[in-house]
Amino acid sequence: MILLRLALRNVLRNRRRTLLTLLVVVAGYGALALAGGFMSQTFEGLSEGAIRGGLGHAQVLDPRALEGDEGQSLEFALPDGEGLAARLRQDPAVEAVLPRIQFMGLVGGGARSVAVLGTGVDPDLEARYMNVPERISDGARAPGGLGSRWLSARPGSREVVLGIGLARSLGAKVGTGLTLTSTTRDGALNLVDVDVVGLQDLGLKELNDRFLVTSLETATLLVEAGPARSRLSLVLKDPRDLEGVLARLRGLAGGLSLRPWTELASFYRQVKLLYAAIFGFMGLVLFLVVALAAANTLLMSVMERLRELGTLRALGLRPGQVALLLQWEGAFLGLAGCLGGLALTLGLRAVLNALHLEMPAAPGTSHGYELNIHLVPRVYLGAWAFLQATLALAALMPGRKAANLRITEALRHV
Amino acid sequence: MLELRDITRAYELGGERAGVFGVSLELPAGSLAVVAGPSGSGKTTLLQVAGLLDEPDSGQVLLEGREVSRLPEKARCALRLSRLGFVFQGFNLVPVLTARENVLLPLQLQGRPEGECTARAEDLLERVGLGNRAGHLPGQLSGGQQQRVAIARALAGDPCLVLADEPTANLDHAHGEPLMDLLAELARERGAAFLVASHDPRVIARADRVFRLEDGRMEGVHG
Repeated sequence: MILLRLALRNVLRNRRRTLLTLLVVVAGYGALALAGGFMSQTFEGLSEGAIRGGLGHAQVLDPRALEGDEGQSLEFALPDGEGLAARLRQDPAVEAVLPRIQFMGLVGGGARSVAVLGTGVDPDLEARYMNVPERISDGARAPGGLGSRWLSARPGSREVVLGIGLARSLGAKVGTGLTLTSTTRDGALNLVDVDVVGLQDLGLKELNDRFLVTSLETATLLVEAGPARSRLSLVLKDPRDLEGVLARLRGLAGGLSLRPWTELASFYRQVKLLYAAIFGFMGLVLFLVVALAAANTLLMSVMERLRELGTLRALGLRPGQVALLLQWEGAFLGLAGCLGGLALTLGLRAVLNALHLEMPAAPGTSHGYELNIHLVPRVYLGAWAFLQATLALAALMPGRKAANLRITEALRHV
Repeated sequence: MLELRDITRAYELGGERAGVFGVSLELPAGSLAVVAGPSGSGKTTLLQVAGLLDEPDSGQVLLEGREVSRLPEKARCALRLSRLGFVFQGFNLVPVLTARENVLLPLQLQGRPEGECTARAEDLLERVGLGNRAGHLPGQLSGGQQQRVAIARALAGDPCLVLADEPTANLDHAHGEPLMDLLAELARERGAAFLVASHDPRVIARADRVFRLEDGRMEGVHG
């Protein structure tokens, strides 16, 4: 108890120096907590983009589909995809099952044909659960301009939405008639005449140059899919227990692969890794700055108190207790700094969020977003633990120096 | 109580060999002894060896009949805390602790119950005449008052031996005399042995026994 009291008073002894060190800790805490909140918003946006962009919360597919390209249409398909979708829809945790047919082919108009990666989707379900249709029909802001719209669910309609790069290659725009060619499951050539109803910007040139989406009915007709589907996207009622639900659904999926979206969204994973690296580097820089500032403060405090420390040792304080005293001083600096940092973070967060700042569009997205730094208790606690540990490390060297003082020399110090 | 047998502790100082050489002395409980001698005669070195702050090059330190000079640091710390008290020339109070907290320091380090610690600290401060200054920081006290707090702190842990290095050197006549009267009284009252290093005649006059050091060697014993 007396050591705690002594440590606290020592921290308050040279207030200006303590204040400067505290400012470093406060700034470090604020930087970590705000960056963590910003990252959380970014990850949420990216995950929402991935899930609502077509992946769903999970997908059922043939494991071979993840390993290599199909030699012909639906080679790695779910043979009774529609039947499986109907069974999965019965599960109480499942909100919706969105079947997909993926195919390769050619789309052409006039003299030019371009290879495409086509996808057949249910227009109704897609409009209800995914955000792509909404963006395509976004009036003047839509990549296809006014008149651009999502696929019609009307039976017999033969419509496509094209990536903007593909549309440019073909010289196509909303209303242009094209011919879509592919091979059937049996390898026979088949073609369907379609109309362009919308354009889509996927953010990546390679995708924009090859992307085409059409209705499930049109794709089924083109590749003669019957009940086969390339994959099924699952939307869950409550995705928080994703792994638990998937474990149960795997029984229904038989030998097929049931993968959570996190395993399928490679872009999300890459961004997360990139942010982790940035955050880690920032943490390293902050560690060095805080550690050096705190070590300097504590070391100066030791040098100014040599005779006092010698007296404490003469009175019977053990070397370990002297080192502990310095650790307590570091801990108080950390605690006060983190509390100040927390106040700063909450204040800055409130101000920045209230400003409704518009952030530039993230890679892979076409629209900017409003800055809304999240309050993430896990990050706040993590920043506190990180800085407290940094100060504990910073106090090691001064503590060691203080503990190893020769008492007789320390007592002679003026 | 304390016995030093043939203690030698030498060190280099300005190219010359200094310290104490072959010093022996004996100090019974309840006595006030002074190690007298001019500056540089080895008084402080002898007190540091006797107080287990330093190890002798040779010789023995016997405290309550037990040889303690070669104990490991942890055991020396425990002995200093439980059996020894120190009074320094410069008072050496912890400046951020009040007079009461300074006296509490050894008691709390001993792990005594809080209530007992507080009562004992208050009692000791009353005994040295500073009951009404218990809440003051050292910087708010005069030199004489600080040295009284240091004496109370030295006695707090019920030591068998109190070592005081030039306790009156930083005090004027008006404060030095009563302080030595107090030390002499406490030595008799508490039954602890007091070993004081000083060349102050006022201090020497109050001693039961005087050990005279000259160039690190014992030149005579009086009393």
